Amino acid sequence: MDANTAFTWMLTFPMISSAVIYLVGRVFSRNVKNENKINPARWLALLSLLGTGFFLYLVIRNVFSSGQSHYQSFGEVWFRFDGISMMLSLLVLVVGSLVTIYSFTYLKKESGQEKFYALLVIMIGAINGLGCALDLFNLWVWFEIMTISSIVLVAFYKDQPASLEAGVKYLVQSATGSMMVVFGIALVFLETGTLNFEMLRMSINAPSPYLLIGGALMVIGFGVKIAMVPLHTWLPDAHSQAPSGISAMLSGIVIEVGLIALLRAIGGIALSGQNWGNLLIGFGILNMIVGNLLALRQKEVKRMLAYSSLSHVGYMLLGFGVLISLNGLLAGIGAVFHLITHGLMKSLAFLCAGVFLYNFYIAKGSHKPLVLDDLNGASKKYPFTAFAFSIALLSLGGLPPLAGFMSKWQLLAGVAQTQNTTMIILVVFAGLMSVLSLGYYAPLVNRMYRNKPSALVSEGGAVSVWMYLPIALLTLAVVVLGIVPSVLYWLTGPAGYSLFIFFGQ
Amino acid sequence: MNISTPMIVMIAAFGLFGVGLYCLLLTRNLIRVVVGLQIMVKGAMLALIFVGQMRGQPSLGQSMALTVIVADTIVAVVGLALAVQVKRSVGSLDIADISKLKR
Amino acid sequence: MLQIEPLVMITILVPWIGALVVWLIGNRHEKIQHIIAVIFSVIAAISSVSMLWAYKSGTILSFEMGSSFGNFSFVTDGLGLFLAIVATVIGALAVIFSVDYMHGDSQLGRYYSFVLFFIGAMAGLVLTSNLLLMFIFWEITALCSYVLISFYNDDPKAVAGGMKALIMTQVGGVGLLLAAALLYAYTGSFDINIFISNPSLLPGNILTILAFAMLIAAAAKSAQFPFQTWLPDAMEAPSPISALIHAATMVNAGVYLLARFYPAFKDVPGWTLSVMIVGMLSALLAALMALVANDLKRVLAYSTVSQLGYMVYAVGAGGILASQFHLFSHSVFKALLFLAAGAIIHSVGTRDMREMGGLGKELPFARIVFIIGAFALAGIPIFNGFWSKELILESGLERGNPIWIYVIMLIVAGLTALYTARCVWMVFYGEKKLELTVHPLGRNMKIALAPLAFGAITTWLLIGPFSKMMSTSLPIHSIDEINLSHLFKHVLLAPATWIALAIIALGIMTWVGRAALSGIQRALQPIASTAQASFGFEKINKLIVDATQGLGESLRATQTGKLNWNILYILIALVVVFGILIIGA
Repeated sequence: MDANTAFTWMLTFPMISSAVIYLVGRVFSRNVKNENKINPARWLALLSLLGTGFFLYLVIRNVFSSGQSHYQSFGEVWFRFDGISMMLSLLVLVVGSLVTIYSFTYLKKESGQEKFYALLVIMIGAINGLGCALDLFNLWVWFEIMTISSIVLVAFYKDQPASLEAGVKYLVQSATGSMMVVFGIALVFLETGTLNFEMLRMSINAPSPYLLIGGALMVIGFGVKIAMVPLHTWLPDAHSQAPSGISAMLSGIVIEVGLIALLRAIGGIALSGQNWGNLLIGFGILNMIVGNLLALRQKEVKRMLAYSSLSHVGYMLLGFGVLISLNGLLAGIGAVFHLITHGLMKSLAFLCAGVFLYNFYIAKGSHKPLVLDDLNGASKKYPFTAFAFSIALLSLGGLPPLAGFMSKWQLLAGVAQTQNTTMIILVVFAGLMSVLSLGYYAPLVNRMYRNKPSALVSEGGAVSVWMYLPIALLTLAVVVLGIVPSVLYWLTGPAGYSLFIFFGQ
Repeated sequence: MNISTPMIVMIAAFGLFGVGLYCLLLTRNLIRVVVGLQIMVKGAMLALIFVGQMRGQPSLGQSMALTVIVADTIVAVVGLALAVQVKRSVGSLDIADISKLKR
Repeated sequence: MLQIEPLVMITILVPWIGALVVWLIGNRHEKIQHIIAVIFSVIAAISSVSMLWAYKSGTILSFEMGSSFGNFSFVTDGLGLFLAIVATVIGALAVIFSVDYMHGDSQLGRYYSFVLFFIGAMAGLVLTSNLLLMFIFWEITALCSYVLISFYNDDPKAVAGGMKALIMTQVGGVGLLLAAALLYAYTGSFDINIFISNPSLLPGNILTILAFAMLIAAAAKSAQFPFQTWLPDAMEAPSPISALIHAATMVNAGVYLLARFYPAFKDVPGWTLSVMIVGMLSALLAALMALVANDLKRVLAYSTVSQLGYMVYAVGAGGILASQFHLFSHSVFKALLFLAAGAIIHSVGTRDMREMGGLGKELPFARIVFIIGAFALAGIPIFNGFWSKELILESGLERGNPIWIYVIMLIVAGLTALYTARCVWMVFYGEKKLELTVHPLGRNMKIALAPLAFGAITTWLLIGPFSKMMSTSLPIHSIDEINLSHLFKHVLLAPATWIALAIIALGIMTWVGRAALSGIQRALQPIASTAQASFGFEKINKLIVDATQGLGESLRATQTGKLNWNILYILIALVVVFGILIIGA
């Protein structure tokens, strides 16, 4: 199969298969006879993701053998498969497949599973497409597909007021943001007459008010999805109310996808001003401090994890900002690496929290939030999950020998490499923020290793193998990446480099 | 200062956007929130069609606007579906009643 | 023929493999866990000691990590090798001690895993010549220390102590992070030896930042002023942990760091003076606090801070050999004291010295070894602490170091003797206070204590090979070789020694004659009460913690949960971004 066909299939396969998943699942679940049987939608979803992975593999093989990005057009719409696309597609497929497997058990008793799996596959497909879009409007379309599918997934428990509330907030704020992006696109088009990123770069060489306003609208519009402070207000609600697998996807992937979309968009108009990078750095600082402080006194586990995502996005914003404004290639590579490790460790954290949530509440039909006290002595009954959760939390807190340390290090080393005084102060600040974050991660670990289990722990049910499998794989990944961070250099290097040449003056 | 047609259209587009945002800022009824969103979308569509005209590529502008319509219809559908569910499970459409998740 | 390369790997990796094995065995097989832990730690100890016979200069091993990680390389020079031996040997003894001490505790797997993990990381910390790798090991030791301090997670005090240790050492760790990042930014490499042989690779102001960042890192790790408060609270850990991590090894890492980088930073203006002042303040304040503390382990913790202050002072004064020699002596006698204290606490079930008293008759073995350790701590002649402390005090007089700091250090020597005498008296002599049921010491406890007691009397005899190893393997540090007869002459003939001895004797006399001195005691009451309040540092800590928590709590109000507010935030952000871009353009 040649690269063009493989690429076409990579984009279309998830979309086609999600329709199949929905139809098959729907027909199956309508049949009264199948009430207690396993819905085939789950297996179809997994197959579909594996199939997409196969096409992705073909494309990547081609890219590596030819040594350059893959370009392809459908009519007037151009796509480019470069380092960033490769990183994003791989990450989303890996985490997405694990989340699918995890949800086998998590959604066992829910109705409307076919909807869940179909939307999940669409969301993953949309992210795949977003990574390669080379056209501002096309980027927006993929972004919108991803947003809509994730809104429905957040409000999956459609009888729960809390879940609906999160869905409503997420919908309204996202829609507001995406309308701002459309306005931004309109202004950019008005100024330049093109929407292709590479053409944009060539046609812009001086600042202009339209581009500044358009850029600002896009920063805020995508910023809602990235959860830049103060646009973050939907995030803790959505992340804590969604089914845990979706929380993992949202926190580990979707907010980062917003970041990539923003970088693509700004990359097109980068030459219109010097302040884009500084703007990102500013938001990064705000995110780190506000995210950490909000998480510090949080009592609900999933909300705490959601707030911690804010601070981690702050690190990435810092890294990418340095890449843009000071040409710090290493900081960009570090930020990409942190994006990957954050995707892995935050998904791991949410999946582990989900195991507890499921066994303590959801399996019993309750939708109460998981609070810190519930986890007291959890290691007594759930030794492996508690261990994996501890690994995830300590890695998020940036302790070696875990992945989070390595990526934070690479990012901060890159920031320091600019040899700029402000940046050196920011390294210290980011380091202190990392210490502050231990103030809420570490006590949670302590709780789980108490000797006296809480009542819920003693009553909790056993964990199914479908939940163990993704957790075990992610734990392994977090530990291995912490010990040999260089195994991912083939992925982070090209990704950082594609950004670098995009922003290079 | 002389007021040209393009400027009027641009002001209208941003004006619609502003009206929509204003609606979102103040209203507490969930249906009206969705309406506010729709007003914002109309502004965005107007802007897209307008810039297509201005740059001499009307078909591109219109096709983009058409895509926005499709995308936004889905958003509106999802929003209204959520509103229905909220009415069913909470018993009211006032967003003050769905402000339980905070802090 | 012994090869050094595999020995380095064994010393670091065998404890780590042991950690994994102990964890995999699971808590159901308690006996096997004990045995496995002992076996693995003893193998590491043997391997590290045998490195002495396979010594090789230069970089031993190097693993290329690519990108911003540099080459993970290892060297076995005098400084690192001897600390690796200390870490693994005392580690092995602490594990043997734990067999009795932790007998019957639940979650043994977690305990032993982290002890072994720590031993490996500590060996790695001192053997690597890559600053980033050192930072990684540095953080791993902090992680292990935190986990083991709060080993008894059900006790809120233990959790708080662990958190405090973690946060404070991590704040210091930021200093090391900055140092490593800057070193990489300006030289493109992490190699420590290249850097210290040619510090002018860095611009002057960056070198200054590096020097003080490392001083902060070292102060936090070694519980020096102004970070000294975490160590006493770390005493909630099981006693073998206090002996191993918080007396003999991890807290020495700060001193090691300063000694290692001394040649690079000694010309940075104000650095050596700052180091000396940090050491002096820690020594003085901690000695005063030890004088009024009533918890046996806290007294030992304060004395650790105080003795580490001596070592830091010695580095600042240029006496690298003296500081490392005292580090060596201190590791032995303080591990001995902590393990003996652990044995006593295990026997009587309390840590409060006011409830002890008259234990000498019931625990004769503990009394003998504890008093040996106490003599070494107080600096009584013949014991190892005497020789090394005298070397430190002498180096304080050399190289034109400020004399007033020396005088204070002399006074602290007297205070040390005083609080040691008080502590020994309160535990072993006097009247028996409470009807405590006293358990005898276990066999494994004695096995661990005996070699340490022997070491506290004899390790000073090793000064010849010790200084030779240092001086040959560390050319840049310009360390003089001293042999035994030289040491005798050096120490015994110097007038300073006799002054010091007189002050130490005065300290002990003060305790003996305390009844007659009650007037002075009353006059000093205000100092005693501020010392009991840890000179206000606990208050400052609490203030910072409360302020952060309060800020976090009040920020939560911004998360209103109301949709209209959320939209308003978006609008505000939009306006602000517009503003910034328009002003910027």
